[in-house]
Amino acid sequence: MDVVVIGAGLSGLVAAIRLARVGKSVTLLTKGIGGLQLSQGTIDVLGYSPDLVTRPFEALPRHGKPGHPYRVIGGAAVRSGVDYVAELCGPDLLTGHADDNFLLPTAVGAVRPTCLAQPSMAAGQITAGTSYAIVGFRQNKDFYAALCAGNLARSANVTARAITLDLPARPNDVDSSALAYARAFDDPSYRQRFATLLKPKLEAGEVVGVPAVLGIKVLDAWRDVSERLGHEVFEIPTPPPGVPGMRLNERLTQLAKAAGVRIALGSRVVGARTSGRRVESVTFAAAGRNRDYAAASFVHAPGGFESGALTMNSYGSISEGVFNLPLAGVRDDLVTGDYWSDQALFEVGVAVDDDMRPLDAAGRVVYSNLHCAGGILAGATRWSEKSGEGIALGSAVRAADTIRRA
Amino acid sequence: MRRLEADVVVVGGGSTGAGVVRDVAMRGYKAVLVDRVDLAQGTSGRFHGLLHSGGRYVVSDPHSATECAEENTILTRIQANSIEKTGGLFVVAPGDDPTYAEGFLAACEATKVPATEISVARALKREPRLNPGITRAFEVQDGSVDGWQMVWGAAASAKEYGAQILTYHRVTRIERSGDTVSAVVCTDDKTGEEVTIGCHFVINCAGAWAGQIAHLADCPDVQVVPGRGIMIAMNHRLVNTVVNRCIHPHDGDILVPVHTVCIIGTTDVKAPDPDRLPIPREEVQQMLDAGEVLVPGFRESRAIHAWSGARPLVKDSRVGAADTRHMSRGMSILDHSERDGLKGLLTISGGKLTTYRLMAERIVDAMESQLGTSHDCRTALEVCPDASTGRLNEGKTYVVTHRLHDREDDRLHDQILCECELMSRRMFVDLIKANPLSSFDDLRRQLRLGMGPCQGGFCSMRATGVALDAGTIDIERATGLLRLFLQNRWIGLWPILAGDQVRQTALDAWIFQGTLDIEHLPETAEVV
Repeated sequence: MDVVVIGAGLSGLVAAIRLARVGKSVTLLTKGIGGLQLSQGTIDVLGYSPDLVTRPFEALPRHGKPGHPYRVIGGAAVRSGVDYVAELCGPDLLTGHADDNFLLPTAVGAVRPTCLAQPSMAAGQITAGTSYAIVGFRQNKDFYAALCAGNLARSANVTARAITLDLPARPNDVDSSALAYARAFDDPSYRQRFATLLKPKLEAGEVVGVPAVLGIKVLDAWRDVSERLGHEVFEIPTPPPGVPGMRLNERLTQLAKAAGVRIALGSRVVGARTSGRRVESVTFAAAGRNRDYAAASFVHAPGGFESGALTMNSYGSISEGVFNLPLAGVRDDLVTGDYWSDQALFEVGVAVDDDMRPLDAAGRVVYSNLHCAGGILAGATRWSEKSGEGIALGSAVRAADTIRRA
Repeated sequence: MRRLEADVVVVGGGSTGAGVVRDVAMRGYKAVLVDRVDLAQGTSGRFHGLLHSGGRYVVSDPHSATECAEENTILTRIQANSIEKTGGLFVVAPGDDPTYAEGFLAACEATKVPATEISVARALKREPRLNPGITRAFEVQDGSVDGWQMVWGAAASAKEYGAQILTYHRVTRIERSGDTVSAVVCTDDKTGEEVTIGCHFVINCAGAWAGQIAHLADCPDVQVVPGRGIMIAMNHRLVNTVVNRCIHPHDGDILVPVHTVCIIGTTDVKAPDPDRLPIPREEVQQMLDAGEVLVPGFRESRAIHAWSGARPLVKDSRVGAADTRHMSRGMSILDHSERDGLKGLLTISGGKLTTYRLMAERIVDAMESQLGTSHDCRTALEVCPDASTGRLNEGKTYVVTHRLHDREDDRLHDQILCECELMSRRMFVDLIKANPLSSFDDLRRQLRLGMGPCQGGFCSMRATGVALDAGTIDIERATGLLRLFLQNRWIGLWPILAGDQVRQTALDAWIFQGTLDIEHLPETAEVV
């Protein structure tokens, strides 16, 4: 085996595809489906620094404290990762000019910057003077048109009004999930029912915002809805599990399989065998018995605290569970009582060199054939600066390209 | 400026105040209860949820033990909806001094607290996660009680007898005419309006804040020493029976299953200010260690929330001022006509939730003796309504599967807004329509919104959207309430953040900041 990748989020999938496509034999080990489906389904590079960022790649070199992942990854690798994922996913799934951030409405009516969006979201781009009709469904409890429209009108120089439709995803449902709606919207007859119900309620020129449920398999369902309504339509991401993230996850997983990546799903990687400064194999707690996967190189992309790859026990001791890697950013008082400020805890992670190899406190490489990517890296509060995908992609590209050169 | 007239004003909407207003109203007085915030938002909502059998006090305070045993029976009858008959165990853990347990059964018998010794094997069969190293076990009739349900139930009963319950009415002045109380002046913090309640009698049930209220009536130097204790809720019922250490009352000696969680408590430290109750790191560690003694592996299970409450203990010269646990837990009544020459004012201090009804009876008797009147107390005889449904208690005590049963009935007709606590959309809409000025925390205390493992991660945006759709609030208030709710959840979350709750917190941050960008919504005016 050439490479074992741990983790099926954005960085794990992209690193695996990138390596498999240049002929490496790659096995991807993952506990679950990966974090993409929990995401909003856009590609964030940098949204706040700390003020609103409109041109992410201009702001990136100056962003963050020393130790921020972008300081080692560098703008060029992030750019190449963003271009790569755009190429992989294609224009039916990702759109935008990486130089300029979109400004898109969120489900609570905030205006959120992101680098690439799905084409189904693009018409939401905030432009002064726009009139929005925000449409929710009475049977979906994760999106409220009045909350979105009410705040959107407060957040930007636009008008927005709320329309709530009494339209379940399936007959007689009272509690339809976003995914249930997305499956319904795959069907043209459902799209027609939706359009017939909504069209008479719309006023000329209104841009129509709906929760991100316009199809899961049929990626241009949004375009069809727009044509049936005769209005521009855009999707607004909902809390997880989110349909746009599922679309990205599905596309990248298919590409990985097509490129020959072997995916072993359902168990944790619980440890590793090492020899000096090299990792020989990792131990996958497969059903029945543990199984060791040996490889020449390893990409460690298991996520951060949200996935359980980093843990803090009840004594406050923080650890990384597979390689017991040294962690950067550990100190007292990592958590404070101010809800609205970033918690230093979530900046704890693995420090790396520019080949994404883990470093110890003295700055020495811990394992020369281990490369870390994505949420495990120290130094950033991704959800607050809106940098999660940029860090994941930049580090995945760095890790993969180092292995490719080796 | 609004003016009301009443015979009696009760200050403080904790268990004591709710019990008093119910009793006063049932004896035929026109009564008003005021609280500066919501009912049971202070000490009566910040405890471990134990309905005492009396077992805790059989040695240290025999009189209290007997009262607890009697009141336990009465409350289980009149407020069944707020009580779960979990039963209790007193166990001797490894290393505990065995001499306390040797005298335990005799002390129970002397105080009429029902107790039976059972074999360790039987105790472990009943509670398989208990420390297998325990050496003795005694069964008692402890239960768990929802303080909010209990107080709201007593208040609902009082309302049926004509009492008015005014929450978010902060007392600013107590007026006198000559040597008698004549009015209580409040500010309605929801509207900013000043409200004057003309009255002949004021009963100060402000608990840890009683000294501040007495001061407003120019009765200085009423010394209440708040004893601060922390509690930690774990995300499962590690035990289904209340488990007590069979030792002299000590920190961390009780584990109580309440609703979907179990609660370890508590500590006891003198607190200078009942409005500033920290949850110190070392006390959290102390509680987790104490939990580990009762249930091995306790530290590996998931702590989801912590809080700090202030026992309103009377200053007692028998013990040092820094040791609040050994002060009398009995209630004391200060008669200000004797103390300060002001007629028509009683200040109540001390007591415990389990005996709140009995305390109220004694207090109202004291009021009547000052007024020269006499009516029978009937609070033990009549059943209270279930405040959440408005129906009288049917005599069925609470069980943790009640909501599951309800949701199985209505799942095809209604949405579940809070999966952790099985709160339906209808439950939420009904309550917010009945209480349109409520904050989400006010609603939480009655509905358990956001009290489960996700700590509001999924349900709080839903609550906000549904409240908007219900038409009771506008977008500014909705947004302010959502922000306030998240902020308030964090108060009890960050001091215990560890294990899987770190993972949950990261997921919640991905939702609120990552996906929703809530931190960049335009600021709203401060909401109450």
